[in-house]
This record gives sequence, C-alpha cells and structure tokens, in this order.
Amino acid sequence: MQNDETEKFERLLKRQQLRQVPADWREEVLSAAKEAQSARRSPVKNRSFLSALNDRVTSLLWPHPVAWAGLAAVWIFIFALNFSIRDKAPAMAEKTPPPSPTVVAELRQQQRLYAELLGANDSVDADRPKIFVPRPHSERVDILTV
Amino acid sequence: MRRGTEIERLYDDHASSLFAFLLNFTRNESDTRDLLQEIFVKIAREPQLLENLREERAFLIRLAHNSAIDLIRRRDTRDRTKQNFAAERISAFAPANDPDVAFFRNELSMALGELPEEQRSVVHLKLWEGWTFDAIAEALEISPNTAASRYRYGLDKLRERLRPVYREITNAE
Repeated sequence: MQNDETEKFERLLKRQQLRQVPADWREEVLSAAKEAQSARRSPVKNRSFLSALNDRVTSLLWPHPVAWAGLAAVWIFIFALNFSIRDKAPAMAEKTPPPSPTVVAELRQQQRLYAELLGANDSVDADRPKIFVPRPHSERVDILTV
Repeated sequence: MRRGTEIERLYDDHASSLFAFLLNFTRNESDTRDLLQEIFVKIAREPQLLENLREERAFLIRLAHNSAIDLIRRRDTRDRTKQNFAAERISAFAPANDPDVAFFRNELSMALGELPEEQRSVVHLKLWEGWTFDAIAEALEISPNTAASRYRYGLDKLRERLRPVYREITNAE
C-alpha cells in the first residue's frame, strides 16, 4: 500500500517537465568557451614554465585544491620541524667548549687514584714501557736464589 | 545536422540537463548561468578532461556539483540567506497552462527548495535524469547506500509536504 503510494508519487514527480536552458545563453557560454580555447592555443609557446606548471597542478588538484594545499602545508611543516630538530643536535655538541688542561689533569689524577684503590697498580705501570737490560745468565740465577 | 565544434556538441547534448541540475541545486538563475559558463570554459581550456570517459553526462554533472559546492562555500552566511529568500520564487520546472499543474509545480519547486542540497541533488538525478543509485553515487562521490538513503529521506519529505496538493491532483486524475 505504502509502496504503491510511493511509486505513484514518484511517477507524478517524474512527469513534471523541467525548464529548458534559455536559448540566449548558448551563444554567451560558447563564446566564452571558445575565447578560453583560443587563449589556450595561442600563447602556448610564450607561456612561462611557471604558468604551465600552475595549470598542470591546478588540474591535478581539482576539485579540492584547498584541501590538497592544506595537506601539503601540513607535510611541509612536519618536514621543517624534523629538519630543525635534526640540525640542532650536532650544533649543540659543536658549541660545547673542549675541556681545559686542568680538568684533563684532574681527571687523570682521579683515574689513577681509582686504580690504586682497586689495587691495580700493575695496570697503571703496564702502560709504561719496560726497560729491558740484558744481563749474563749467572746474574739472573742470583736474583732467583735471593 | 551540422554538429559544429566539439564544444558546441557538448553544449547541445548536455546543457539542458546541467541547467536543470544547477538551477535545482543553487536555486538561483544567475549563479546557474555563471556555473554553466565556468564548466564549459574549463572544458575548453582542458579538453583532456574528457578523454577516455565512459559517461560524459556523469562527468559533467560531477563537475557541476563540485562547482556549485565551491560557489556555496565561497559565499558567506548573509549572502546565502539573501539568496534563499530570492530562491523561493525560482522554479526549475517548465510553466504549465493547466492551473492545477502549474500550482503543483510551484509547490513542488518550493518543497524542493526546502530540502538540504545533498538530498535535492540525489532526488533530482534519480527522478529527472533517471539514474541508478550507483551512477548517482559515482557522480556525487558518495556511496550507493548514502545515495539511496538521501533519496528516501528527500522523497518522504516531499510527499509529506505535498500531500494535500498531491491528493487533489490524483483525485482530479
């Protein structure tokens, strides 16, 4: 019953004739279109690279250029942020002044003390080159007996 | 019959449909003319847009729909209110000699004007272009289910709004 009524109503609506496009619009619209067509053809050689690029990009991004531009802006912002963070880190390291000789000496002193406390004097001496003096075998035996 | 240039052929084949669709969508004759011109200028500038198209009409309706939405977005609220006020007298239907039919068309035009734009465009394409929901969905870049539900809501509102007039007309028939 409901469906019948809906179908009847749809049929009634479909029967209503729509207005035709006013006849005088044809010439106006077509002359504007032809003008655009000839403007497109003639300056092709003289057109700058940028305007050609602009046309290409506009047709590529159409019908939502603003949305695409917004998205591009967000990406540019993200890249810029990323690069600025990456550039800052080494710059800070470069800006740190080298330790003064006093500080270096102090650190070495502390290192030596630490090694002594651990009983690792040998390791400290091990760094020094050993002076080897060749001796006769008899003397070497003496040392052993002592 | 001489068909003239390609752009003339396009105009002769599709201008009436585009005109009715745009007039129903914008409810403004001068906007409709501007948009129609904008569409044909765009095609004249970029003829490659029409290459390898399956359905010229569907593509042109999509172009018209997007241009109309852009136009509405460009306007501020004050202008739109003014426009709606003026639109109450704009009809997308042909004038009729029979006073009953003329009255019904006038009421139908006003009822269509009260529908949201998205419902109005689906109702228009379904009823007066005879498109399927799939075709409507493709042209308006929505899902077929959305197209179907917009049509149902729109039709229900029209029926409610036109019920008294509709009864008179069907009784007279």
